[in-house]
Amino acid sequence: MSDSPSWRSFVVDALREAGASVSESDSLLWVQVPEPVRERLDGPARFAMTFDPERVRQFDAELIAPGSYLLEKILSLAMSRGRWDVARFESPQARWVEEALAGAGLAPQAGLKAEVLGMEDQLLFLFSFRTSLVADEKREEFHMVAVAPSIGAAWRHDSGDSEAGLTPAPDLAPPDLGPAYGLATGILRDTTRESVDRFRATNLQLLEEEVRLIFGYFDQTTAEIRAADPGGSEDLLRAIRAERDRRLTETLERFDPRAKATLCAIRAIVAPMARVRLRFPNRTFTDVTVDAWSRHLNGLTCDLCGGTEGPWSLHHRGVRCGRCPPTRAESAPPRGRPRSDTPRRGTRASRGSGRAPARSTARPRGASARRRRP
Amino acid sequence: MSLPVREPHPSTDVSLSLQFDEADADLLARAFRTPGDGPRAWHLNCEAHRLSLVHGFDRLLAWPSLHGVARYPHQERTCLRVLQEMRGRAILADEVGLGKTIEAGLVLKEYAIRGLVRRALILTPASLTGQWREEMESKFDLPFAVLRSLGDWEDRPYLIASIDLAKRGPHRSAAQSRPWDLVIVDEAHRLKNRLSVNWRFVAGLSKKYMLLLTATPVQNDMEELFNLVSVLKPGALRTYEGFIDRYVGSRDRRVPANVPELRDRLRDVMIRHRRGIAFTLPPRRVHSLPVRLSPAERRLYDDVTDFVRDAYWSASGRMSWAARLTLVVLQREIGSSTFAAAETLRRLAQSPLFGPRERDQLEALQRDAGAIQRNVKATRLVEFLRSTDEKALVFTQYLRTLQHLQRVLEAEGHRVALYHGGLPPAAKDGAVRSFQGDRQVFLSTEAGGEGRNLQFARTVVNYDLPWNPLRIEQRIGRVHRLGQEREVHVVNLWARETVEAYLMELLDRKIHMFELVVGELDLILGNLAERRSFEDMMMEIWALREAEERRAALHRLGEALVRARTEYDRMQERNEEALRPVSEEVAA
Repeated sequence: MSDSPSWRSFVVDALREAGASVSESDSLLWVQVPEPVRERLDGPARFAMTFDPERVRQFDAELIAPGSYLLEKILSLAMSRGRWDVARFESPQARWVEEALAGAGLAPQAGLKAEVLGMEDQLLFLFSFRTSLVADEKREEFHMVAVAPSIGAAWRHDSGDSEAGLTPAPDLAPPDLGPAYGLATGILRDTTRESVDRFRATNLQLLEEEVRLIFGYFDQTTAEIRAADPGGSEDLLRAIRAERDRRLTETLERFDPRAKATLCAIRAIVAPMARVRLRFPNRTFTDVTVDAWSRHLNGLTCDLCGGTEGPWSLHHRGVRCGRCPPTRAESAPPRGRPRSDTPRRGTRASRGSGRAPARSTARPRGASARRRRP
Repeated sequence: MSLPVREPHPSTDVSLSLQFDEADADLLARAFRTPGDGPRAWHLNCEAHRLSLVHGFDRLLAWPSLHGVARYPHQERTCLRVLQEMRGRAILADEVGLGKTIEAGLVLKEYAIRGLVRRALILTPASLTGQWREEMESKFDLPFAVLRSLGDWEDRPYLIASIDLAKRGPHRSAAQSRPWDLVIVDEAHRLKNRLSVNWRFVAGLSKKYMLLLTATPVQNDMEELFNLVSVLKPGALRTYEGFIDRYVGSRDRRVPANVPELRDRLRDVMIRHRRGIAFTLPPRRVHSLPVRLSPAERRLYDDVTDFVRDAYWSASGRMSWAARLTLVVLQREIGSSTFAAAETLRRLAQSPLFGPRERDQLEALQRDAGAIQRNVKATRLVEFLRSTDEKALVFTQYLRTLQHLQRVLEAEGHRVALYHGGLPPAAKDGAVRSFQGDRQVFLSTEAGGEGRNLQFARTVVNYDLPWNPLRIEQRIGRVHRLGQEREVHVVNLWARETVEAYLMELLDRKIHMFELVVGELDLILGNLAERRSFEDMMMEIWALREAEERRAALHRLGEALVRARTEYDRMQERNEEALRPVSEEVAA
């Protein structure tokens, strides 16, 4: 959660967006809200608010700070609005395809040629998710996933929610969001898998330690009581076992990790999408798509790991993703034909082997990249 | 038990999978079927989620929302350690006066902000339930209710209960059958005996986090420390026999053995700060200003007292508890001022609680009270205020006394800031600000400035003395607290041959209460074997008809208080001896 300074502009914007008037006077913010907003905020139609706890009681001003009642209500108001939106993207740059390729690491260079095969407006969806990992602590993240239903592709969108180039667009005919949502959730699972696993492992370890401690204590205590009084009360021992079981249940609940994701909002963006043929130095080619808004390249597959996320680097056998940087030898320009045509691991010819590293986010080969000899 | 820290290893068995919210389907079905709220609303939706994300316990979030709480590094460190390292299970064992209540409230607030605590239970001695409720409300904005009925266990997610009430009968099972996110136990040294009902009750609660607050974890011997830790985290100090063998001195059970190892284990469950030299509060100076009542006041006081004594004893057989309480109030009011008593006398003269003869008596007493225009104590107060340039907080229990004093002081040219429970919040703020500004006197009822910083003043005048000593301590605590840098003056106005004279005898001469650090008094009173409240004990003594009996009863109570004080001092020494190695000195 953010510190107080971040809240001011958000709170003012959120209230104004919902139709409230906000004015500043005597270092307090005076707010007048319309009836529907008043109901949502569960307070008076006119009130003062402050970010300074020492000024709270002045004019009965409401405090805005993490955990304060009014801030929770304003957050809830903002989260209940803007849950879907339609926008059109017009690229300000004429040469956006070249720029997008360059941004993905495929700037014009020796041997690489890009040819635009066609361009048309396509519908993209941007899904925003909030993920929560909860046990006896809580860790949350905010994720955005873009989906291009026309090509069945989805990718993590890290570029924030900039409004640059976006203009309001007419409403859509209600789309079937199910397939796009399915793609988005798949990407979100991949994106968060590592942190979810780490969270689980941490809690598992804490659980193991606590359980060891509890068993150690109660079993040893039982043994000590038996040793001191072999004919002693069974009731006492039963009570100890019951207490042990109760503590174990409590501990299991405490360190029971849960991972939850909630869809926050969806944005539909109509943007130009180009189909581009990339010709590589080894005389193979791949058709990819790129849209003007996200500039994300779809259709490339890493020759080494099968990954589909850039940035990309070119080498004499094809392309490598950002996770598999080429070795120095591979980076060197090719000196001639390969000495053998025997398929090697990680090359195009080895495709179909099904090999992919554990926990790879790669999609099935052939599903995305269609690479053929000319 | 301290275990080596290991890097978490990715699990290989069943993995944890992300569960998607069922409400997603609802949004998918509704989206784009009606016009959206526009791009700004979409952007603010994202912003609302981003700003409110919880990133574990990377830092404290609650400070900006607290009211009137000074920020001290040792409290901040404590809170972070409890959240990050102790995972919400800790014994907060700071010495008296270092703010354990604030630390506990802060931990609770941090959990509440993150949505990790939705049900919390605070267990305290009965005398402190109201104080806890007030502090949680005024400082932390946490709406706690004090347990009144069985239904509260169900209806109140934030509940404060007297441990003596909660552990009994139907309350016990109601408390133990519900899961609590956080349980706070104040004065947790009452869990020193693992065979006690208190210990078993708390151990039997189902809780995620638990804080045990005590300034004196060791009251008699090291075994109590083991019992306290075991209610929190069984096994943290080994088993009972293992603990005795390893960590208790062979000859003296009050002395720890294998101290470095014990220290390591205690560090996992306990935080204890001692006041360093730089953190010692300035001394208090007590000024006693006894007055002799005027003949008219004396006569009225004695007549009221006779009436109360007669009615008190006759009441025991046939009158209600409410009637007895009324008599106590009347006796307390006449100790404050004739103005405070006059109104009650008027009401009682018309009350069906009393018979015709008593009502006639009350009417006569009311006429006598109304005829008195000036109280000797008020004159003495004016003299005192004339003698000093210092700003002074003047406390009284009653609004009518406060109004009378306002008239008297303003007539004498004093600039007075008025503060009482009936004022709206803005007016209360105004009163504090004007006192900080040009007003010399802050005239206040009991509600005076709870949770507000008034340390810029250093003189407290007790115009009357509450029979509950904790109330007196709270008054003094308004200025004698962390942040006060100058010597504090406590001025007690009291009339000879009144209940207040008895109070002075007990509290000032016997246990030197006015020189104690805030928080110590409760520990001393807790050592009294007596189960009745201090107020009830005072009334029982005062109501005795024979002066000889009263003197003897007062003497007995005085002796009991002295023993309690001595026991407290011994306890302090034992804790110092046993826990010094695990304590950290608070720096300025």
